[in-house]
Amino acid sequence: MAAEPAEVQLQVRFVTKQEQYAVSDSPYAIQSNVQSSDLNTLVNALLKETKPSLQKSVEFDFLVCGELLCTTIAEHLQEKGVSTEDTLEIEYLERFPAPTPQECLMHDDWVSAVHTHGNWILSGSYDNSIHIWNTKGQHKLAIPGHTSPVKGVSWVSFNGDQAVFASGSHDQSAMLWVWNVTRNSVDCVVTCRGHDKGVECLAVAVDGTRFATGSWDNSICIWSTSLTDEDNVPAKKRSKPEQGNSREPMSTLKGHREAVSAVQWIDYNTILSSSWDHLLKLWDCELGGIKQEIAGNKAFFDADWSPLNNSMITASADRHVRLYDPRSTESIVKTTFTSHTGWVQSVRWSKTRDTLFLSAGYDGQVKLWETRSPRTPLYDLTGHEDKVLCCDWSNPSLLISGSCDNTVRIFKAKHAMESM
Amino acid sequence: MPPYKTGLLKRKIPDESKEVEVNNSRSDEDEVLIRGELDAENDSTDSEHDDDNAASDTERDEILFHDSADSLLSDDEANESLAESSDLTDSEEDDESGDEESSHEEDGESNSDEDKAEEEKEAKPKTKAESEDSGAESGTGPTLSGSSDGSKKTKEKAINKKEFKQKPIKKKEFKPKPTKTKAVQKTTDSIDALANKIKETNVTIQPVQEKDEYESGDTSDEEERVNTAGAVPSWWYDEYEHVGYDVEGRRIARPPRRDRIDEFLRKCEDPEFWRTVRDPGTGQDIILSKQDLELIARIREGRVPNPEHDEYQPWVEWFSREVLATPLRAFPEHKRSFLPSREEQRHVSRIVHALKMGWMKTRKQIAEERKKSKEQKFYDLWGSSAAAGEGEGVRGLQRHIPAPRRPPPGHAESYNPPPEYLLDAKEMKEWNKLAQTPWKRKYTFLPTRHGSLREVAAYERFTRERFLRCLDLYLAPRAIKMRLTINPEDLVPKLPSPRDLQPFPTTEVLKFTGHTDLVRSIDFDPSGQYVVSGSDDGTVKVWETSSGRCLRTLALGCAVTRVAWTPAAGLSLLAAAAGRRLLLLNPGAGVGAHRVAARTDDLLAEPPPARDVVMDERTAACVQWETPDAAQWARGVRLSVTHFKPLLHLSWHARGDYLAATVEEAGARGVLVHQLSRRRSQLPFRRAPGRLQCAAFHPHRPLLFVATQRAVRVYDLVKQELVRKLLAGAQWISALALHPAGDNLLVASYDRKCMWFDLELSSKPYQTLRLHGGAVRAVAFHSRYPLFASAGDDQYIVVSHGMVYNDLLQNPLLVPLKQLRAPEPRGELCVLDVRFHPAQPWLLAAAADHTLRLYA
Repeated sequence: MAAEPAEVQLQVRFVTKQEQYAVSDSPYAIQSNVQSSDLNTLVNALLKETKPSLQKSVEFDFLVCGELLCTTIAEHLQEKGVSTEDTLEIEYLERFPAPTPQECLMHDDWVSAVHTHGNWILSGSYDNSIHIWNTKGQHKLAIPGHTSPVKGVSWVSFNGDQAVFASGSHDQSAMLWVWNVTRNSVDCVVTCRGHDKGVECLAVAVDGTRFATGSWDNSICIWSTSLTDEDNVPAKKRSKPEQGNSREPMSTLKGHREAVSAVQWIDYNTILSSSWDHLLKLWDCELGGIKQEIAGNKAFFDADWSPLNNSMITASADRHVRLYDPRSTESIVKTTFTSHTGWVQSVRWSKTRDTLFLSAGYDGQVKLWETRSPRTPLYDLTGHEDKVLCCDWSNPSLLISGSCDNTVRIFKAKHAMESM
Repeated sequence: MPPYKTGLLKRKIPDESKEVEVNNSRSDEDEVLIRGELDAENDSTDSEHDDDNAASDTERDEILFHDSADSLLSDDEANESLAESSDLTDSEEDDESGDEESSHEEDGESNSDEDKAEEEKEAKPKTKAESEDSGAESGTGPTLSGSSDGSKKTKEKAINKKEFKQKPIKKKEFKPKPTKTKAVQKTTDSIDALANKIKETNVTIQPVQEKDEYESGDTSDEEERVNTAGAVPSWWYDEYEHVGYDVEGRRIARPPRRDRIDEFLRKCEDPEFWRTVRDPGTGQDIILSKQDLELIARIREGRVPNPEHDEYQPWVEWFSREVLATPLRAFPEHKRSFLPSREEQRHVSRIVHALKMGWMKTRKQIAEERKKSKEQKFYDLWGSSAAAGEGEGVRGLQRHIPAPRRPPPGHAESYNPPPEYLLDAKEMKEWNKLAQTPWKRKYTFLPTRHGSLREVAAYERFTRERFLRCLDLYLAPRAIKMRLTINPEDLVPKLPSPRDLQPFPTTEVLKFTGHTDLVRSIDFDPSGQYVVSGSDDGTVKVWETSSGRCLRTLALGCAVTRVAWTPAAGLSLLAAAAGRRLLLLNPGAGVGAHRVAARTDDLLAEPPPARDVVMDERTAACVQWETPDAAQWARGVRLSVTHFKPLLHLSWHARGDYLAATVEEAGARGVLVHQLSRRRSQLPFRRAPGRLQCAAFHPHRPLLFVATQRAVRVYDLVKQELVRKLLAGAQWISALALHPAGDNLLVASYDRKCMWFDLELSSKPYQTLRLHGGAVRAVAFHSRYPLFASAGDDQYIVVSHGMVYNDLLQNPLLVPLKQLRAPEPRGELCVLDVRFHPAQPWLLAAAADHTLRLYA
């Protein structure tokens, strides 16, 4: 490649998939040592010419050779091994705006699980309690009930006043709760007992009728979320008075050899699970069998699947986040995202953007990633002072993370809705 | 001319000549006889004539030979010289050529004798007078030559010559001439004489035959006149009156010298002068005969000297193509006689090959070798004796060690050094000050300035210094220093790269904080979900592995030296050694499975029937099983065993029913085996094996490993006997860990070593690992991965690869993989215990800085 990248002139053409920001297709000659900020001004200048209607200048990100431009173009091309002779096609897209820190929800103990739905934030803590917050940071309710640290919480449904959520704990049980919003009262409807060891993770199906729990007893149980248990509980069991509102699993998926660290619903019938035995498994819920198995070389701590791009990201016992494609039969890691300095404990896809995801690690950092930029995250969401145990991006405008410093931090993503 | 040709020639001679020959042969014989008579009588001319005639005939053959020989020798010369002589005819033939000339002339003369003889046969009357004269002269010839004083005019006629070197041949030729003339005389004499002769010959056939060869050798009468001086230069006789000696020793008188006038007079007077030559041997004048002249003439013309020789005689085809009735050779030449012989070729090639290979030597080579072997051999005085003994030749030449080089002279040593090298006043002062210790001076000499090199004085110490240098070179032994060139890489054993041996813990990922004093001991629960740790602050803490969250704290009141989670999956129980008490704790419902915890509680709540709890007195004196009260139960204590001495070490049996406890300084009662189900204890040893450190059960066989201060003893619990004694070779064993397969043992010692024992190999350490800079306090094996770790007082935890093969032939492979940075030491201590996660390649270390560290 060029010995002195500063000298080289490049022929570039700007393309975009966002129609409102399209500029003319003609190539431009630029210096190769320009950075994305320079390109940004250039594109903005071009935009001003072509579309005078746009008043504000827009921040853009630039994709060169399928990867986000973070350094100068010359260095980027050198890394990629691409010739500077040809006309380069630079795709630009509106930059995801920097999330702004919002509230800090103080807990009494480590926050191990967090989930949002609309304006409501559900968090589980190591002090065996579940908390309900609104996005403004108001603490609505503290719910004791579990006898061990709560490891998974998830909203199930909102029906006007009545909100249903599920929680799983190390006390080997999962609970279904009904929260009356207006009265701000909560009621444990069903206690799901079936695991021999602590419940590590919990996920509610897309249609909200079932939820799955993964446990330290190496199994995954699928439970019904129906609040009345007449239809699926055998009469014999129901007759037992002390069982009360306890429930047995609809099905149990056994196959992992170590603790199940994460479960995710892919569709109404398929569950993705990750385990400490270095395996990712796709289960068929109805048949109870394994559809697919992907082997990693480290214990998996978390996995998430995105319906938008049909791929999954995993957090394992190292500082990398890996992107897997479940359609590929070989367990080929498509991309490895490396920026964390400690174990990554939790990963979550964006619900609206197929290239963005969130990761939380033991280094106290929450990072917002763009899949096309494997080395540099888009943003570091700092603020936590200790290990971050969980994160959530269920509400596309809220980036929430729970940590060992007893806090849940909320970051707000501007324009997150309107960008799509 | 080859002999057979002569034969042929003879044969070709016409019949009349044959007759003559016959006559001749007879006359020859006669001659000899007569000669004998003559000698006796010194008279009888008749017989003499015959004799002469015959002699002339016999002579013919001889002459033929001589002629050829002579002509071969010096044909051209003869021609030239003859020409000369004919010109000169007089005197001045002092030189040798003249002598030769004359001889040739004589030859020619003698040859021409034959012709003469034949001619004379045809025309006898004509030559009669002549021959008479000559005959008279020649007849007297012999007598004359016999005595010097009797020399007559023939001698006077002879040309004056200084030298007379003559050969007998010349004499021969010289002699016949007169005989021939006589023969001519004789023929003229009478026929009756001839007839007589024939008679005589007939009569004396026999003796003639006998005498024939004798006669050929006997030339006595001829030799009478021969100069016997021999082949000596004639000038030897220059001073004398004689020129030599005849056969009888008489002197041959020098013929009188003639001056030019005499020569001239003779020339004028003597008609024969032109053909008179002087014999240098005898100094006599010889008149060449007509035959001689003819012979000379023929030689000059380059023709065959013998006029009778027919050059054009018809060719006799002895070998012709015609088949003869009696062929000369009965067989034709074979074809192979025209081809090179194959046999010979083979032979030659064999020789050539042998020469090439050196099996055979040419004569030249053999001669050279012989010559070389004959050459004198000298002892190599200057060769080194040692080298000669080894037979490797002169050492100095083989591996010459050059003398150490002296530094080249610098500027100061110049005859005209730059001014800065010359000593100034201050330096000069110093120089003078060091006069007593000259070796301390800056230079060994005083730099001096000279106008030119010519002015430099002779160096007075030159000889001495050269001598000292020679002494140095001679006396100082020099040797080639053999430098070992060892690559550092070669010294390092070939081990697999750590990259290939992944996974293994590499970085610290979690820090478990909560203890307030140093953490003595840690253990994982069988699933790896929890960690238990015992600390000097008197608490046992249960942690969540993945997050480092302390889930439960159990205060025990006194420092916890050892904690161990039960390996039984169905129990939620951990043993903790706190002071003298061994406590069995249930970490509670929050930790692990409810059901398991409940079952454990059920099991431990009710004591077993009393008949099972039978302990002998000795054991009963040592331990006391106690059921905790409610308060303690609430704190998690399910059972407590109080020992008579503080506990040192604890270890569970793999099934979780037995527990081996080691007690401090207890001698024979140092190791106790507790059985939980029966709540009783055993003292396995009657005698103290030594200072006990720790005890551990074999993972699946009924063996107990007991580490004493110096050795590890292996006891069979069923047979109750000592099976093995493993000598660690260490001063003080600190810890011991058993490979999960049970055949390998890792022993740590306070003297910074780790010993790996292969129980199937020997009772000595298979390998001693010196990986630490301080005392090693803990070792641990991974239950699934081929990993082991050791840690101690230095700041490193060493993770190593320890592969054990099922194949009995392959020894364990030990590769140190990683030095993990341990936390800061507190006082002397740094890391007190290490444990591997049961499933993941993670390592947990109990540190002296009140924390636990998880490495992954």
